[in-house]
Amino acid sequence: MRGKFQLPNPKSQVRGLPGSLILAVVFCAAFVYSLYFLFAPKPPPKPDAVWTRIVSDGVFRVGIDPSFPPFEYENGKGNVIGFDAALANEIVGQWSHENETPIRVEYVYSGYDGLYDALKAGEFDAILSALPYDARKTEDVRFSHAYFNGGPLIVARIGDESIKTYFDLAKRRVGVELGSSGDAFARRWQRRLQYDVRFYHSPAEALRALTRGEVDGVFTDFIAQSDFAKREGGIRIASAPLVDELFVIAVRKETPTLFAQINAVIDAMKKDGRMGKMQREWF
Amino acid sequence: MARLLALAALFLALGAPPPILVTLGPQQTVQTINVKMGVHTRLTDEVEEWKIKKTLEMVRAMSAPWIVDYFPWGYIEATEGQYDWSHADQVVDHAQRQGLTMIARLGFVPNWARPKDSTINYLDESRYAYFAQFVAAFAEHFKGRVRYLVIWNEPNLNFEWGYRGVDAAGYTRLLQAVYARAKQANPDIQILAGALAPTLATPGSTDAMSDLEYLQKMYDAGARDYFDALSAHAYGWQDSADAPPAPQRVNFRRTELLRDIMVQNGDAAKKILITEGGWNDHPRWTKAVSPAQRIEYTLRAYDLARQWEWLDAIALWAFRYPFPAQTYQDYFTFVTPEFDAKPIYFEVQKYAR
Repeated sequence: MRGKFQLPNPKSQVRGLPGSLILAVVFCAAFVYSLYFLFAPKPPPKPDAVWTRIVSDGVFRVGIDPSFPPFEYENGKGNVIGFDAALANEIVGQWSHENETPIRVEYVYSGYDGLYDALKAGEFDAILSALPYDARKTEDVRFSHAYFNGGPLIVARIGDESIKTYFDLAKRRVGVELGSSGDAFARRWQRRLQYDVRFYHSPAEALRALTRGEVDGVFTDFIAQSDFAKREGGIRIASAPLVDELFVIAVRKETPTLFAQINAVIDAMKKDGRMGKMQREWF
Repeated sequence: MARLLALAALFLALGAPPPILVTLGPQQTVQTINVKMGVHTRLTDEVEEWKIKKTLEMVRAMSAPWIVDYFPWGYIEATEGQYDWSHADQVVDHAQRQGLTMIARLGFVPNWARPKDSTINYLDESRYAYFAQFVAAFAEHFKGRVRYLVIWNEPNLNFEWGYRGVDAAGYTRLLQAVYARAKQANPDIQILAGALAPTLATPGSTDAMSDLEYLQKMYDAGARDYFDALSAHAYGWQDSADAPPAPQRVNFRRTELLRDIMVQNGDAAKKILITEGGWNDHPRWTKAVSPAQRIEYTLRAYDLARQWEWLDAIALWAFRYPFPAQTYQDYFTFVTPEFDAKPIYFEVQKYAR
């Protein structure tokens, strides 16, 4: 062996690499791959079948119970009109514009209590029928962003700026429609705020008592307030809703694209003022 | 190792919430100005005992001394000849402790007593004796605790009669099968017949028969000797409590027409007990009224009942559901599933104290 030159064995070199180095290399590769996975541009998700059909056929099938003015009712000529119908028209109008293809609304009538079952059975694509948000139903359907809040709010006399929250009504006089959600709210806070609750047979009677100065505030909903303001006037909304009663559109779980498309229109309408304009028109 | 396991078990046991202790509590009495007032509770499907107790405490606090509840035969005798009274005992004992008088509605045919693919309301005449046996067992088990039994529910509807075709004579034979057995088991028991659905069914309809026509047909078939009082359902729909009765109108005072038929058939001595009824304030249901009207009509109905000497009790539908129906039915209730009392609850309480 003496004087003989020996080449180093490459295998022994590899065997000699420290384990931590191999681990570091593997980790780096995984990290780079993760970054790519997270940030590389992805192809858009495949639209759901219902949305694809809506665009290809040009028909958005809406489940509705047209018996609830001013949200939805028949105009005597077989046409559905009302706030919800106007909203449906806005939705398909925007979709038509964006997809460069005409899309129209087709109403499918259903009894109110049967709307969810009919949606589930595929009789239509969405429920748009003054439908209140219901947390218990979220396992079954997707609810859109809210487009209206029907919860009771505080109504005060024009010129009375002293009332901004229900705490401002402490030890004063509150009018409610007997048995309404405003009544329930008033009773819940009565002991703490010690106001005098006065009961009326309708929201209009309570609001009339407000204009006569018999009560200082009325807990009622936006529609009743708006109707009275148009007919008799003298009142103003003094607060945001005391309790949320959110109206939403429901779609089946397996229609995420349709869900996103509906939300996009609702959000846009709120932002550009179309929703407020429609409310003023119908309520 | 064994020590470690024992320690882990101890930690788990300490960390687990303790079982909720529910006792019957002290004997209560109902304070009321109207001893006929009542509600139909829905405790059949209420699992947790504290909720059963709380529901009944709230009924007592509303000043209503009567309750109606449903005791399904199929729940109690799921296996032929084996009775499980545990849940029924719980409901009855808590009701009794709250000072409430229970009217028990019996029905719901167990699987073993009906053909496969039939509905829970299907009871073949050859099986009447089995139901009679159950009613007798119920009457005996609850001797001293439950005095009133309603036999079946709304048999004038085809659906409630198991789609066998509405048959007043057939129902009368059911009463006949039940009556003697129940009296033998508990002579104090009161058998309530009818619980008829107020309907405007057209003659010859396969879905239903007018309650008035059905009651007369019961008498024609000889029902008079096989019940002690009549159970009535008195829904107001959109009429006020005072709206006059008419055969072609469903309203609260339709009960008076049932009473007339009893009188015409020489049965004036028997009382009526309203075991369902009331108004609904759903914002969209076509037969609903406004919340204020619902309160007004309900209070008036309780007051009218007080004046009717031929009426013993008026139990309105429904005090509380254990879970939301998520339909217009939710707007019949006085209390939400979460035990939030609705304004109507407070108004009834105010009236009755």
